[in-house]
Amino acid sequence: MSETKDIRIITRPTKEQIRQAQIDFAPRCTAAGRVNDKETQKMVQYILNFARKHSLFLLAYGTGCGAIEIPATLTSRYDAERLGIRGAATPRQADVLMITGYLSTKTLKRVIRVYEQMQDPKYVVAFGSCTINGGMYFDSYNTIKALDRYIPVDVYIAGCMPRPEAVLKGFAKLQELIQNGNAGNGECYRKNLDWYRANQQKVIKNWDFPDEYNW
Amino acid sequence: MTGNWLIELTGIVLTALLAFTVGMFYGGLRRKVIARAQNRVGPPVYQNFLDLLKLQGKTTNVTHGLMTHLAPVWVLVAAITALLFIPVLHGGLWFPNFTFKGDLIFLLYLMVMGSLGMALGVGETGNPNGAIGVSRGLSLITGYEIPFVLSLVAIMIQFHTTSLTDLMHYQQATGHWIARENPFAFLAALFSVLGMFHYSPFDIIGAPAELASGPMSEFGGKYLGSLMTGGSIFAFVKLVLITDLFLGGAGHPDAYTGAAGVLLGLVELVIKTFLLYMIPVSIGIVMPRFRTEQAVRFFWRWPLLFGALGIIWAVFWK
Amino acid sequence: MGIIYVLGILIIGALAAFFVDDLNRKWTGPVAMLAGFGAAAAFAFLPGGIVRWRILGFSMHWETDALAGFFAWIVLGLSALALMYSVKYMEGKARQGYFYASFLTSVAGMFGVAVSKDLLSFFIFWEIMTWTSFLLAIYNAYYGVETKGIKYIIFSAIGAYAMLTAIVLALGQYHSLEFSDLMAAGAFRFSSGNWYIPVLLLLGFAVKAAVLPLHVWAPAVYPKTPMSFTAVFSGAMSKMGILGMLLILTGIFRSATGWELTLVRWVLGWLGGLTAAWATLQAIRQNDAKDLLAWSSVAQLGYIVTAVSTGTRLGLMAALYLALLHAAFKGSLFMVAGAVEKQAGTTDFRRISGLIKRMPWTFLTALIAIISLAGIPPLGGFVGKWLLYESLISETHAYFLVILIFFASTSAFLYSYRFLFGLFLGQEEEEAKQITEVSWWMLIPMLALSAVSVVTGMYPGLIFRPAARALESIGLPAGQWDMSILSNVWGNQTDVFTVGSTVGILFVLWALFITFKGKKNTRWLTTKEISTSGEIPAPEDNCTFQRGFFQPFERAVGRLYRSSMDQLWEDIGAALEAFFGFIRKIYTGNAQTYAMYVIIFVVLLILFRNYIF
Repeated sequence: MSETKDIRIITRPTKEQIRQAQIDFAPRCTAAGRVNDKETQKMVQYILNFARKHSLFLLAYGTGCGAIEIPATLTSRYDAERLGIRGAATPRQADVLMITGYLSTKTLKRVIRVYEQMQDPKYVVAFGSCTINGGMYFDSYNTIKALDRYIPVDVYIAGCMPRPEAVLKGFAKLQELIQNGNAGNGECYRKNLDWYRANQQKVIKNWDFPDEYNW
Repeated sequence: MTGNWLIELTGIVLTALLAFTVGMFYGGLRRKVIARAQNRVGPPVYQNFLDLLKLQGKTTNVTHGLMTHLAPVWVLVAAITALLFIPVLHGGLWFPNFTFKGDLIFLLYLMVMGSLGMALGVGETGNPNGAIGVSRGLSLITGYEIPFVLSLVAIMIQFHTTSLTDLMHYQQATGHWIARENPFAFLAALFSVLGMFHYSPFDIIGAPAELASGPMSEFGGKYLGSLMTGGSIFAFVKLVLITDLFLGGAGHPDAYTGAAGVLLGLVELVIKTFLLYMIPVSIGIVMPRFRTEQAVRFFWRWPLLFGALGIIWAVFWK
Repeated sequence: MGIIYVLGILIIGALAAFFVDDLNRKWTGPVAMLAGFGAAAAFAFLPGGIVRWRILGFSMHWETDALAGFFAWIVLGLSALALMYSVKYMEGKARQGYFYASFLTSVAGMFGVAVSKDLLSFFIFWEIMTWTSFLLAIYNAYYGVETKGIKYIIFSAIGAYAMLTAIVLALGQYHSLEFSDLMAAGAFRFSSGNWYIPVLLLLGFAVKAAVLPLHVWAPAVYPKTPMSFTAVFSGAMSKMGILGMLLILTGIFRSATGWELTLVRWVLGWLGGLTAAWATLQAIRQNDAKDLLAWSSVAQLGYIVTAVSTGTRLGLMAALYLALLHAAFKGSLFMVAGAVEKQAGTTDFRRISGLIKRMPWTFLTALIAIISLAGIPPLGGFVGKWLLYESLISETHAYFLVILIFFASTSAFLYSYRFLFGLFLGQEEEEAKQITEVSWWMLIPMLALSAVSVVTGMYPGLIFRPAARALESIGLPAGQWDMSILSNVWGNQTDVFTVGSTVGILFVLWALFITFKGKKNTRWLTTKEISTSGEIPAPEDNCTFQRGFFQPFERAVGRLYRSSMDQLWEDIGAALEAFFGFIRKIYTGNAQTYAMYVIIFVVLLILFRNYIF
């Protein structure tokens, strides 16, 4: 038996290619990307943001294993309702879309649909490592790795899986962003729809969304 | 109705505001009570105001057509109109609005106007969950309206009047609550109140786990906000109606006049309505959900019997 | 002489329509419509007067007093509008001459019934109306026409024979057929010794008014008749039964006390209440708009019968008020069903939905009519319900009957909603996109009838006053009626004008608020854009919830739904068939047996001659 050595030719990407990739993959809508000075907010806006921050109707999209943490967060032990967080049944009523865990490409389609049916201002909380970089499914063929390439994300909660304390911390962060006027990316999503659509269509094979994006 | 229209208008606005505030606080209190029963801290009592503010502050809204667009309007109009025809306090203390211009039969029909308008709006969305919720809701109405009518008929024939103000005058003059004069009618009415509030075990209409909140499922933003306002006012209307009918109403214009009378009357009203409200709330905390036909049949059994007993009582009492 | 003109115009119109159809089919409808409006105009502008004439020794007496006028207006007004509606509705259908000739003759019959003041002409017109309506009921050559049409004619025949028997008996007893003579002689009193005369007459009227055990023909025939006539059939012709009841029971009501009144209140009142409840329960489970409306008509007639049975001021007013209002809203509802049938091809809830965007004006009519039917303030139907309840509670003290009626009218919300939801709401079918609104020839009559509901919601006095005159004309208590304030015997009031304006003002204010708040950022979606757990319904998917819509309610009602009145009659029919089969055995075909019968008969005759002769 003759030994055949598998030779993989690795070419280092050029700087130009790296920059291009960074531009291509960089999420278009991030909370951190927008600067909104608290001092410039008007009084009405301040009050509205106060109400928004203390009244978060949560659509917990139980996509992955992390969904099990949500009941614990909402019920007696951790009681998210004291922060004004309560469950909503349909996207029309919801403010926060919570993606709990990994997203298979099949589920992604439904998530996008649900996100688009929510009304502004709407927030997305990505929960667990899987939504950040694929987590333990980083090499799976049918899960998406970075959620913010498909829908804008406001807050990430890292961990595999994050405990309810972490979830509450995430919500605290979201509330802070809302009060500062830095959360809510529906407007931005509509503006950069082409970019998001291109990414979505790359992974979703049986694309049957209506041609026109009508909320 | 005498007096100039400005005072009347002020009265209407103030009554609506009172009903709105109290109703919203009761909603918050209910959430607090449920939370405490579940060993939670619970949201602050003013949580519903924040929710409403947020809903009205939504920057985008969607609707599915004219009937859907107007559905919250029906709910709100029915609630406020019913409020205007119900005396909030005993004569003269608070603005009487139109309390002399509508009787109990009229109120009974007015109170379903909102639900039917809402049902039409829900139908137009095309959401199957909404339609199922409507089907359940209408079935439930046939359930709880019957004992309620039985108890109303009982007290109408007992006191020879169909007017709410007359009934209040009677209770005030004699000092006897109708709950004491005809306990069976009161019991039947209490059962119907359980159904009217749609709390457990009768929360079949908007059952979140089955129907994705049923009729509400396509309403968001300003529409949901208006529905919430209407619902809060309507909750107060129902409580005041039962208080006026059976629990002697509130306020004693003979004993106290002027601002003191109004204030004391309002305090009395709040105490009575709150205690009454706690009945469906506390039953709701511990009960699981009925199926629709179970819920309807429940009302056609014991409450119906109590209502019939109420009528028999009324016939032999006079 | 107005009566002669009206009848003449209608009969000539019928003949003209019949013959014009052979010449040019286009003109049949307009000619009939002209006859309808001509008759209404003649009735409006010519003095009615009194017509008396004798034929074969019988005197005929027609007169337009206030009561006749009230019912004649229901008949002529509704018929004229229905004929206008027919022009486009019947367009392109076969045998139009037959249709319009029967239609106009039927209207003439109804008008004749309304103005007749003697039993004989009443009966003749009654039969004209029944037979022509039978011809229209079998106009559509549908499957099962022989069983359904026969149901109608058999029940009508039972009623007619009952009436005829009563007429013959009355003539034998009192030697006159004038209503006034008979009334004066007390022929229509149960206590007169001839109690069977009013009972037989009431039986005849109960068939037409579809009272409980005799109602089975109505749900079978109403949906199968062309809708433009069903509007009249249900709206006006069934009211003739109510008119007859009023005429017969007047004497009993005038006495105002006694066991007769109690008997009427109990029997007729409860029959009416049971009719209302039973028919409402049946209407709830129908899957076709026309069937639903047919059952709903039976239910509404049940309220009116109960209202008549009270015999009190509020109750009789409720009867007349509901009679007119029912003609208005049920007429327009049947027209709506016809419009949908014409445009969409079917009225089956399971096959069409979401027509609101295609037929907005039809929907508006249906909405107003349904709100009025359900008795929701501030439209006209509420006033009728209010009067009925108040009369039962405060005047006749029928407490449990009130509950039954209330159960029926609360359950009526279910089918009311089903009608609107099934046809107009829900998701649109892909193939429904080509449906268009009906022509204005059909819309104007529908909207005109809706206007009645809207106007009477604020000003019910417009009907109270002629109705009160009608009641006074037959010597019944009517009392004073305000334009828009209702009051019962205890002095409690409801001011419908205040109600109407309050609801109107609040509605407009809040509608403006919700429309203009964030108007720029409010989008109007199609019914496909619903939140279905993230799923995207394909264009051919229809998520509308239509099958088994009130299944939970049906389960709650339970066993009651398993019984059927049709089954009862079929069992009776089978029993009769067996009985007659037994009787037939007498005819053995053997001459000796027949000879024996003759001898037995003669022997019996001789034995009992003292008792027989």
